[in-house]
Amino acid sequence: MMYIKKRLARIFVYSVLTITLFTSLFPIFWTISTSFKKRVDTFALPPKFFNFSPTMDNYKKLFSDPTFVKVYLNTILFTLGAAFLSICIGSLAAYALARNPRFRGKATFEILLILLRAMPGVVLIVPLYDLCSKLHLLGELPVLITIITVFNLPFTIWMLTPFFAAIPIELEEAGMVDGLSTWQIFRQIVMPLALPGISAAAIFLSLLTWNEFLVPVILGDQSTQTLPVLISGFISARTLDWGPMAAASSLAIIPIAVLTVFVQRKLVVGLSLGALKE
Amino acid sequence: MASVGKSSRAPLAFSLPAWILIIPIFIVPLCLGLYLSVFDKSLGFPQPINFVGLANFQSDVKNSNFYSAVKVTAQFMAIAVFIQIPIGIFLAMVLHSASKFASMFRSSLLIPMLLTPVAVALMWRFMFSSELGIINWVLDKLTLAQPDWLGNVNAAFFAVAIVDSWQSIPFVVLITLAGLAAMPVAPQEAAMIDGASTIQRIRYVTLPLLKPVLLVILLIRIIDSFKLFDIIFILTRGGPGTATQTLSMLDYNTAFTFLATSRAAAIGVVLALMSLPLYFLWKKVISVSS
Repeated sequence: MMYIKKRLARIFVYSVLTITLFTSLFPIFWTISTSFKKRVDTFALPPKFFNFSPTMDNYKKLFSDPTFVKVYLNTILFTLGAAFLSICIGSLAAYALARNPRFRGKATFEILLILLRAMPGVVLIVPLYDLCSKLHLLGELPVLITIITVFNLPFTIWMLTPFFAAIPIELEEAGMVDGLSTWQIFRQIVMPLALPGISAAAIFLSLLTWNEFLVPVILGDQSTQTLPVLISGFISARTLDWGPMAAASSLAIIPIAVLTVFVQRKLVVGLSLGALKE
Repeated sequence: MASVGKSSRAPLAFSLPAWILIIPIFIVPLCLGLYLSVFDKSLGFPQPINFVGLANFQSDVKNSNFYSAVKVTAQFMAIAVFIQIPIGIFLAMVLHSASKFASMFRSSLLIPMLLTPVAVALMWRFMFSSELGIINWVLDKLTLAQPDWLGNVNAAFFAVAIVDSWQSIPFVVLITLAGLAAMPVAPQEAAMIDGASTIQRIRYVTLPLLKPVLLVILLIRIIDSFKLFDIIFILTRGGPGTATQTLSMLDYNTAFTFLATSRAAAIGVVLALMSLPLYFLWKKVISVSS
């Protein structure tokens, strides 16, 4: 009796998991397979799951357009630039927060970070658009990178602070005895020890920036188009050409799907407002 | 002791670069938004700009689109809290009890969460196509009704909710799993020895112990459903009519479709005020969680 019950429970568990797995992966499979289909196969009924002859036409079409190559490079530049700037600004601030639990500006800083995380992006984008158009700063990649760095700052700081807090203060004191300046201690002792945390945060920030839509679509222009902006442009086109669309989407999601597998354990800290630790 | 004092004083300057960026990119736009909201600036009509006091707020209050947006936003929040969180907790518990392939299941479940929302929405849009989409093909095979997913007022709401759930439930699962993994085993064993059934164990042992984690999930799902934007932008742009127009979407459309900068700034001020209670909720959750 006990044995049958256990078996039934196992069957239940694994069927729930299989259904979940199918639901979460099918849309991705469908997009990628559509990206390799000829136009006639795209909307074939009954749908062609595997029985089609794959073609690279959609990808060729994308890459033959110089704009697309530029867009892909823009996205990489935007992502790396924002991750780098976030880590520079964020690790300095996170170190200050970790080492000064009661400093004066801390309460204000904390309020600002929470509000920044909680507020819809449009609230800031409307005035930022006004400001940037007055100052002729629209369509400048460095401006986009700086703005997205601030938008991502709550994630950066909440992810990094626990790593800095975990570094034993004795090591810093030893550095001080050796006559190192505060900056040297930070560069030579603290940063190398925080490296695992910093690399996890860098990957997470890259994912966030790669996916960002609102900032580049409003504050950017043709020259700073990123992949999400390009993809959103497809739907306003007169004819919906699903093949190249699926190919562009695949090129947006495949790098992330690969990275996810590597960073999943570290994500808990970043995603939970820093309120939960691994 | 002097050296310790030095070590804790010097790094204060380290938060300076963060402040230097926060001020022009967060604080100045908030103030500018407040300033714009009491004028009648419009990119469509570049006439001289006049001070109009609270007129923009008054016309918001009179505007039925505004109420509809509040309602739609609240509905998406309700989906997050009452549908996504329970499903996510259930899946996490099931996943937690599976020993074989657990990490494989976990990684593949997490991929949807991190994918570009714009690309995700586009691929679902493809699957939702009413004539030739795969979802309606399956519904047809099952002899079920095939809605015009993005063209029908009710179906469009559910389409957005489905796509948001597809991306957000994995988040609930991931955080719950972290909570389950960190949970002490002793109370579970004690309950088992006392002869508690699985349901009783979940109800009286697991869920109470998970409370801090669940509060964090609740807070973040409320915040993120409040901010929901990209998916709606690609799937419906707030339509058909105003069926999926959240407050964010209304603000966007006012500013960048109707070019009414000051009206949009006024909606922005209202949205900023609405995020204030989230700050207090956050403080409360942190005090319970730690």
